[in-house]
Amino acid sequence: MTDTNTRLLYRIYDSDIGYSFRKSRIAVAATIVTLIYFLAAIFAPLVAPTNPYDLASLNLSDAFTPPAWVEGGSSKFLIGADDQGRDLLSAIIFGARMSLLVGFASTFLAFVIGVSVGLVAGFRGGMVDAILMRIADIQLSFPAILVALLIDGVARSVMPSDMHDTIALWVLIFSIGISGWVNFARTVRGSCMVERGKEYVQAARVIGIKSTTIMVRHLLPNVMGPVLVIATIQLAVAILLEAALSFLGVGMPLTKPSLGTLINTGQNFLYSGEWWITIFPGVALAILVLAVNLVGDWMRDALNPKLR
Amino acid sequence: MNFRKMLLLLAIGTTSATLATGVAAEEFRWAGQGDPSSMDPHAAAVGTNLSFLGNIYDGLMRRGRDMSLQPSLALSWAPVGSDGWRFNLRQGVTFHDGASFTADDVLFSFERATGEGSDVGTWFASIDHAEVVDDFTIDFITKQPNPLFPNEIANWMIMDRDWAEANGATSASKEEPNFSRFNTNGTGPFKLESRQADVRTVLVANDGWWDTAEHNVTRATYTPIGTDATRIAALLSGEVDFVNPIPLQDVARVNGAGGFSVIEGVETRVIMLGMEHQNDTLHDSNVTGVNPMKDVRVRQAVYHAIDIDSIIENVMRGQALPAGLLISPGANGFKDEFNTRLPYDPDRSRQLLADAGYPDGFSLLFRCPNDRYINDEAICQAITAMLAQVGIQANLQTITVSNYWPLLREDDFDMYLLGWSPGGSLDASHPMRFLMHTPDPEKRLGSWNFGKFSNATIDSLVPQIVSEVDAGRRQDMIDQVHGIMRDEVAYVPLHVQPLVWAKSDNVELTQRPDNFFNLYWVRVN
Repeated sequence: MTDTNTRLLYRIYDSDIGYSFRKSRIAVAATIVTLIYFLAAIFAPLVAPTNPYDLASLNLSDAFTPPAWVEGGSSKFLIGADDQGRDLLSAIIFGARMSLLVGFASTFLAFVIGVSVGLVAGFRGGMVDAILMRIADIQLSFPAILVALLIDGVARSVMPSDMHDTIALWVLIFSIGISGWVNFARTVRGSCMVERGKEYVQAARVIGIKSTTIMVRHLLPNVMGPVLVIATIQLAVAILLEAALSFLGVGMPLTKPSLGTLINTGQNFLYSGEWWITIFPGVALAILVLAVNLVGDWMRDALNPKLR
Repeated sequence: MNFRKMLLLLAIGTTSATLATGVAAEEFRWAGQGDPSSMDPHAAAVGTNLSFLGNIYDGLMRRGRDMSLQPSLALSWAPVGSDGWRFNLRQGVTFHDGASFTADDVLFSFERATGEGSDVGTWFASIDHAEVVDDFTIDFITKQPNPLFPNEIANWMIMDRDWAEANGATSASKEEPNFSRFNTNGTGPFKLESRQADVRTVLVANDGWWDTAEHNVTRATYTPIGTDATRIAALLSGEVDFVNPIPLQDVARVNGAGGFSVIEGVETRVIMLGMEHQNDTLHDSNVTGVNPMKDVRVRQAVYHAIDIDSIIENVMRGQALPAGLLISPGANGFKDEFNTRLPYDPDRSRQLLADAGYPDGFSLLFRCPNDRYINDEAICQAITAMLAQVGIQANLQTITVSNYWPLLREDDFDMYLLGWSPGGSLDASHPMRFLMHTPDPEKRLGSWNFGKFSNATIDSLVPQIVSEVDAGRRQDMIDQVHGIMRDEVAYVPLHVQPLVWAKSDNVELTQRPDNFFNLYWVRVN
């Protein structure tokens, strides 16, 4: 068993993609950074020095403590404390967790919707294709943030104000997911139209396999490459979009801050000297998005047969 | 911040673009935290509304720069006998639509202010009825003597009977839209030119105003900007000439920017926590079938849990005074010895909770506005953390103020944040009538007592305080009420809010201690 695993790992290591990964220092570095974020997010309660959600542990007299290396700083708050005396490092770790959660969940939603629509459009063609792709075109003509704002605004006016905080997470995931499916759909449709005419699909048809089975079992695996690339890029986009929405105050509430929420609270103090409250969450967000994007970029190049 | 405010930011962008093109010398633009909820002067006894509408409507009296009572639509007033007040009205005053102002309009405004839907009826709690003597004389007959009546109605604004009747606006309404909510017809120095709720409101000078204009403003635009940072950026970039308030942490920055100045003062407004006194259960709690807040020990525990000095130092940047009463120093009836707070003592707080039967604390629903008072949201967060330390888990819900008042009126809270300024009268009896008397729509008392605090002694003392002429006896009764209020922890007073306005150096204006901003004192240079 172990032997098979080792051999599999070696095969990955020794493959073209493995080679291109090893040769790209940027890809290695970006992957390491991304992994650090993921691990910190998953194990946030263990990694973070304090639990920023535990209000009983906050002490208002710690408010505005500067980073440890600045005069007046304290080793208790490595990169400072916010306006409520919350440890900023812990807040960022938990905030990144929230950002990644929204990012992954909404990318998954966009993936599911986009891939389904793309498969159906590409496989069926004709009228179905035309209608689905025009819908995609219409949506593509609206900026993603506008679509997300619209969905968010409607959801908020429909729901009672009490529930806003509790549903905020779901509304965010839904609105970002809905605004991101088009890229998946178009890519899958394109690949699907190419694959559709190939012999293996025709063979499957001839022996009477159901359309859905053909789509899922035969087409899907063959269009997954580009989809993975898009998913990685979409993850970075979703994290940024979430931060933008939270920054504008329609995203995660203050009680469950994401990186965007932290930046939003911090900006009130940017000009009054307490720069760390907004700068560090901002830097954390920038690094995360950059790392994910770099991984996506490398993946796009590595999986592109024309560049090999 | 909510979605609407987000749109508002977008709107401000476009507004400022328009403003930049056609700025006349006497055009004045200012920004505040929130928008008046209505253009109806009787719809809400809220400072934001009364201050703003004071530019459009006149009252019988008005407050001067030093808060002194000055003649406005009434030229003079004097008691008639012991049970009434006579007002001699100004002649030759016209409303913005050209109709002339008479005693009948005053009578109408009285009926309207005390009628269905009005939020200002408490001002007239002591009035039995009003009598028109002739076209320019009107008597208000009180149930008992009320020496402070003219002070109490300083924010009461006069509307035109014919206009209101013609437009179906004979009654005010807090929530239902009616004509007077969007349209105005006052006698004041400015007319409403256009209004987009929550976006901007434009006023133009009323050339036919009865008083000689001290101001030189021809057109004034008000833009509510909820976000502190955006509001201050609007000032510094020259989009607006005046903002109220500015974030406390930015005082130094504005003063240092050159061309701008901060006007600081102490407001008459006291920030406090209100609690649910009557309901048998809490709205959102892990204890069911019981309302812990009914127990005075629990209320004391809340009081002892709050470290007001830390809030003032860290959230208010040292620019607020701790409060032990619901009135600020300087208000009539204020006494230092009653202004002491229950000390910050978390151990005592935990002990009190244990004594009351909640050794592990309990949870409750804590409502808080996020754009009404200075740093309101941050104050509430700090309080939530302090309460958590003694075991009370407050589920904090912050919300924009226009959605906040309806929730309080619907009794949808366990604890809430409120700020109170003793309105026109600057007297200790003002918060007593609004906040401490048992809610009684018939007597028009207790209309902002959302937690339904009720104390028989206070209920009997309040009318006596209102009608007592002898200052010494009056103060004794006021002290008695203040003593009960503290023993019973009717409210948990927090601090007296500072006033921090900032203006561009090319305008002159006056900061009134009640945080009212009057356009008729503005000069644009």
